Amino acid sequence: MLRISGLAVGYGGEPVLDGIDLEVAAGEFATLGGPSGSGKTSILRVVAGLLEPLRGTVELDVGSRDVGFLFQDDALLPWRTARQNVALGLRIRDVAQARADEQADGWLQMMGLAGYGDRYPGQLSGGQRKRVAIAQVLALRPRLLLMDEPFAALDAIVRTRITQELLEWVERERLTVLLVTHDLEEAISASDVVHVLGHGPRAAIRASHRVGIPRPRRVLEARGHPAFGPLLRRLWEDLAAERMPEPAPS
Amino acid sequence: MKGWRRSPPVRRAAALLSLLAVWEAASRAGLLDPFYAPPPSAVAGVLFDLAAGGDLWPHLAATAAAAFAGLLVGLVLGIALGFAAALAPLVADLLEPVMILLNAIPRVILAPLFVIWLGIGLASKLALATILVAVLIFFAVYNGFREVDRRLVERVRTLGGGRRVLIREVYVPSVTSWVLGSFRVAVGFAFTGAVVGEFVASSRGLGYLLQFAQSTYNAALTIALIVLIMAVVLLLFACAERLERRLLRWR
Ligand SMILES: Nc1ncnc2c1ncn2[C@@H]1O[C@H](COP(=O)(O)OP(=O)(O)OP(=O)(O)O)[C@@H](O)[C@H]1O
Ligand SMILES: [Mg+2]
Repeated sequence: MLRISGLAVGYGGEPVLDGIDLEVAAGEFATLGGPSGSGKTSILRVVAGLLEPLRGTVELDVGSRDVGFLFQDDALLPWRTARQNVALGLRIRDVAQARADEQADGWLQMMGLAGYGDRYPGQLSGGQRKRVAIAQVLALRPRLLLMDEPFAALDAIVRTRITQELLEWVERERLTVLLVTHDLEEAISASDVVHVLGHGPRAAIRASHRVGIPRPRRVLEARGHPAFGPLLRRLWEDLAAERMPEPAPS
Repeated sequence: MKGWRRSPPVRRAAALLSLLAVWEAASRAGLLDPFYAPPPSAVAGVLFDLAAGGDLWPHLAATAAAAFAGLLVGLVLGIALGFAAALAPLVADLLEPVMILLNAIPRVILAPLFVIWLGIGLASKLALATILVAVLIFFAVYNGFREVDRRLVERVRTLGGGRRVLIREVYVPSVTSWVLGSFRVAVGFAFTGAVVGEFVASSRGLGYLLQFAQSTYNAALTIALIVLIMAVVLLLFACAERLERRLLRWR
């Protein structure tokens, strides 16, 4: 579905990433972990076409219109209602207004936000905004879903519930997913494979771990699976080895 | 019922009234020279005579027409130039230095020049009101464009939006909220432009009356006109605020 090879990314000056190879098979739920500043967001932005790479290629088996990007923050258009925000992508794809609104309401209902369609983002809580943002992306029925720490700002209960809803949708649609997260438990309970990005400069994928828990999963039950604990420990060790170098003692 | 005493509008009105009362009392007691500081009652009398005699209305209308036209032309000009500069770097290079200069100086100093160029009729004060408003609005539009939330731009792009969708969904609303944020100031500027234009040289308008009152050392008329202009501007501010609140409902 997605093949990244020899990717280098920079923002002027030294590249922050170099020689990244990463493959996500169709239907696979892949997670990308790694220390802060290692370049996870940069990789997603290249895949989404928001950032030009210095070198390397990104091959997609689907068109760019089939790629959905769920951002880390939940910035919605503040001057548009929840319904209009969800309908926006549909309107861009020339779906008629009435139909787009109807579908948007359906998505809001699915996200547990029935009756909130006329609210402006400023009148919603953080978790509600997040769910509007998810509806906005899923309403376009993407084949590949990119997510950048989508649930970082949510409390544990809301987070588990939204993750569960999303997993069910992923199963139903056989979505291919590339998720970026700091949360190792979330990474293991949701994904088929966890890639660990090393710390830069010139970071690269340091390790890839298969998750031996059968799908479909329930978030909470996955945490009780015998494979969960040992994998969590290995990921901890990988990440600890990739910590920022300590400053030299003076 | 004690609540009204805490309500800020009531407290402010009470403070203003007591100030006027002190002024009036001081005048009556002979502590203030009425030639320089006529009592509020005298000012009110002059205002009443102006309004009742019908002399006031043509002047008020003349000033209001110039201010309103200046606001309109200034808005259109400011928005057009702001968009042009935001979309075409060449235009920005050309306009930005001029605008920065115009923004830095007190623009009312251009009034005598406009009088020389355009005569003492409507055109010169309209020009002054227009330029006061246009420079303000230019920066509102230009900054609104440049300070647009990058995250929203990226969001709309990943949803498949092109340039047209971006302008409609992100840039125009963002610029609108900036322009509305300057709108009240723009209304005040338009009025300032009209009155100052009249003050410098004209044959009618509130600024002309003010100039007349000053040249005849008529303090009561001068104060009456100042009070009148303040009242008109406050009224316009209230209208502008209502419009702002309607259009920025989403806040
Ligand atoms: N717009 C930018 N301009 C300059 N440097 C940038 C920019 N965005 C990111 N960087 C740099 O690129 C590197 C990778 O950033 P990136 O945001 O991809 O990291 P990340 O892995 O997503 O980090 P986090 O987990 O904290 O979100 C960092 O060192 C960062 O300082
Ligand atoms: Mg990031």
